[in-house]
Amino acid sequence: MRLDSAFLERLRAAAPGGLITEPAARIAYETDALVHLRATPGAVVLPANATEVQAVVRLCHEAGVPFVARGHGTGLSGGALPHPDGVLIGLARLNRILDVDIPNLRVTVEPGVTNLEITKRVAPFGCYYAPDPSSQSVCSIGGNIAENSGGAHCLKYGFTVHHVLEVEAVLPDGTLTTIGSSCLDAPGLDLLGVVIGSEGTLAVVTRAVVRILRKPEAVMTLLAGCDSIDTAGEAVSAIIGHGIVPAAVEMMDRLTIDAAEASVAPGFPNTNAVLIVELDGPRVEVDDLFTVVERLCQESGARTVEIAYDQAQRERIWKGRKAAFAAMGRVSPNYYVQDGVVPRTRLSEVLGRIRALEARSGLRIGNVFHAGDGNLHPLICYDEAIAGQAAQAEAVASEILQYCIDAGGSITGEHGVGADKKAYMSTMFAEADLDAMQLVRCAFDPSGICNPGKVFPTPRLCGEVPGPYRQHPAERAGLAERF
Amino acid sequence: MNGPASIPATAHDVADLLAEAARNRTRVVPVGAGTKVAWHHDPAPTAARLSTLGLTDGFLHDAGDLVATLPAGMTLADANARLALAGQWLPLDPSSDKRSTIGGLIAANASGPRRHRFGTPRDLIVGIEVALTDGRVVKAGGRVVKNVAGYDLSRLFCGSHGSLGVVTSATFKLAPIAFDSRTLVLQFPTLALALDSARALVHSDVTPSALELQGPDARLLVRFETTARASAAMADAARAHVGQMASTANIVGGDDEAALWHEHEARLTATEDETVVKVTTLPTRAPLILEGLGNAPLRAISGAAALGVLALRFRGEASAVVSAVDALHRRVLSQQGHLSVRHAPPAVREHLPPPPPAPASAVMHAVKRCFDPNGVLRRVPDGR
Repeated sequence: MRLDSAFLERLRAAAPGGLITEPAARIAYETDALVHLRATPGAVVLPANATEVQAVVRLCHEAGVPFVARGHGTGLSGGALPHPDGVLIGLARLNRILDVDIPNLRVTVEPGVTNLEITKRVAPFGCYYAPDPSSQSVCSIGGNIAENSGGAHCLKYGFTVHHVLEVEAVLPDGTLTTIGSSCLDAPGLDLLGVVIGSEGTLAVVTRAVVRILRKPEAVMTLLAGCDSIDTAGEAVSAIIGHGIVPAAVEMMDRLTIDAAEASVAPGFPNTNAVLIVELDGPRVEVDDLFTVVERLCQESGARTVEIAYDQAQRERIWKGRKAAFAAMGRVSPNYYVQDGVVPRTRLSEVLGRIRALEARSGLRIGNVFHAGDGNLHPLICYDEAIAGQAAQAEAVASEILQYCIDAGGSITGEHGVGADKKAYMSTMFAEADLDAMQLVRCAFDPSGICNPGKVFPTPRLCGEVPGPYRQHPAERAGLAERF
Repeated sequence: MNGPASIPATAHDVADLLAEAARNRTRVVPVGAGTKVAWHHDPAPTAARLSTLGLTDGFLHDAGDLVATLPAGMTLADANARLALAGQWLPLDPSSDKRSTIGGLIAANASGPRRHRFGTPRDLIVGIEVALTDGRVVKAGGRVVKNVAGYDLSRLFCGSHGSLGVVTSATFKLAPIAFDSRTLVLQFPTLALALDSARALVHSDVTPSALELQGPDARLLVRFETTARASAAMADAARAHVGQMASTANIVGGDDEAALWHEHEARLTATEDETVVKVTTLPTRAPLILEGLGNAPLRAISGAAALGVLALRFRGEASAVVSAVDALHRRVLSQQGHLSVRHAPPAVREHLPPPPPAPASAVMHAVKRCFDPNGVLRRVPDGR
């Protein structure tokens, strides 16, 4: 371990009261929500403000020590997996809402504020923060920025990148700067567009200005029970083909319906698939379009169509949907959540391949997905008590990713690449594509200390030129290795 | 900008030309239709023009997925004519100029009145292909709307003004063409009342697709695009909500509405001797910034009133324009806003003090050095 006592003393002074060195306490930070990847961080520091974050990063920069920023640890791709010889910077103490500007529809927050806290704070003014990942009651805005989080309603409202206007961030060399602007069209390159979704590899965000929206006048939700996912998919195609962009379109298959029923009893229909369609907007528009959606669902062959007329009914439907992941625990001892994307029009074909894989592997696979944008979340059931099953589940999960790539989709729609999927980046992108991304990395973090070993399959060193192998200065110094 | 233009027909040809320029240490200015080149001032001495107008192959529309891949040299007008066959469009309406290309729109991150609902190219782009000065053609993003694999280079290239590479094609999220459209035209006694009313509408239940200010005559154009019943109902509701502050309030549809918007889009078309600046501000501060334009040689103001994005067109003696723009710029900076010059005759341009660099300009220059180490392409936008 390279974190010697002199360095730790400086770290202690940089964030008074925030340093954790005891091995037992550091273990609490060894993983995010992707629990099979673990590493005990060399040190944990919990700064209280941006100045302390800056002091910590500056120390790391001077000593060449890698650091990893962490929000509330709800990430599903190991993006906050610590570096064993590095510093884990926990941002949970930066948890204040600094400014609420209703006239301009902007809220300024520290990164440790949870997603839902913003909506709660502005709800009395008839406003809300649009991105709504399923973990919104516990996940942090800092983490949302790192992952460019979406949510069920991103079909209509977009992702975090559409709702964050400005961040204050510490760059890997310890510079505290502002990226973007609370006024639109910040001058210069759109660095914010690339920092959002960079999975903590370009900067540590210490403050963010987010855009809030007026709550829509009307919201209507429909729950359709279908004989098959294909039938549900036909209904979605008909809706989109009709020129209607719903606020959300979700689908669940039999296994996840059963799991949700066993867990939170949302009263879903007893069918092989359910489709949830939500429209929002001005009352007259929603009334007009909802009538059409209802008809299209029936024409596509839905067995049941239930309409939520009030908030309580709507909440019950969403509770069933949002509980789907956790509910799998009711039907299987362990499960592996995959996150892949296919063009929506190829959903049926890819699901066919997943069904065949299920039969071949003998592992049950539940499917819950954001059907409007083709984002699949296959839940692969296994029992870790049975030798080899965990590894088999992982192999099944990776085969599903290959199906997504074959269909022209993506290896991740919202959970990120992190440590979990970096090996798949080369199947989705060519070498030259990854090199171009690496150019951005080198501009922000030439010494490669900001969340190293994430996102990219092979850590390329900055300043490398094609040609015969030469040892990079960072390799000689033992800071980086090739593999 | 001088020298003959080359018109490569493929992304790889573009990359070859860039690599050759890098080897020879010459400079290249990528140009589409050239309608927005002036938005980014780059007083470079000599540079060869690289026209993207030959990049017209590769149009691919997946109507069921609401996405399309569009070649950089295709005009927005052509693209939208083809997308309309399936009832969809790329919801950008930057100007009435039919020559604007997809590549140019990305490089300038250009948008128009419908920005109020749909945003700018950076809000709609989901994937990109670019040619780099090392001779390679690279891709980022993909052809699906939801995708967080790897860095989002697509957005980095939006508004990069041809400084990092040459965009050769891009994939966008599309929108269905609206069932119906209606516009409420409000005439106000003052600009401040027009701006206040714009904000009042944003805080009401109506959801316009465009909410444009026209100045100095203080009009608001509020467009509703949804079902016929809802467009009409919202136009009525908006008139009821802010109409009492207006001197006149009329609702138009059909050909009259189309003519109204065409006229609006043409308001910013500048002649050679005119100056156009863009101002962005917090919406509540727009009235403060527009105060004090009394004696300025101002021809027109237009912009997304509720978003705090306004463009102003000046014509007059160079010294009078310079002093008006300079005073405006000071007010903008005092309100933490931004001003950029989109078009100006040399006699005005050379006397305008440069804006302050962006806070993270050092990183912008570092990105430039990584993408274009030999300085082949245009100056990087850094706020100045």
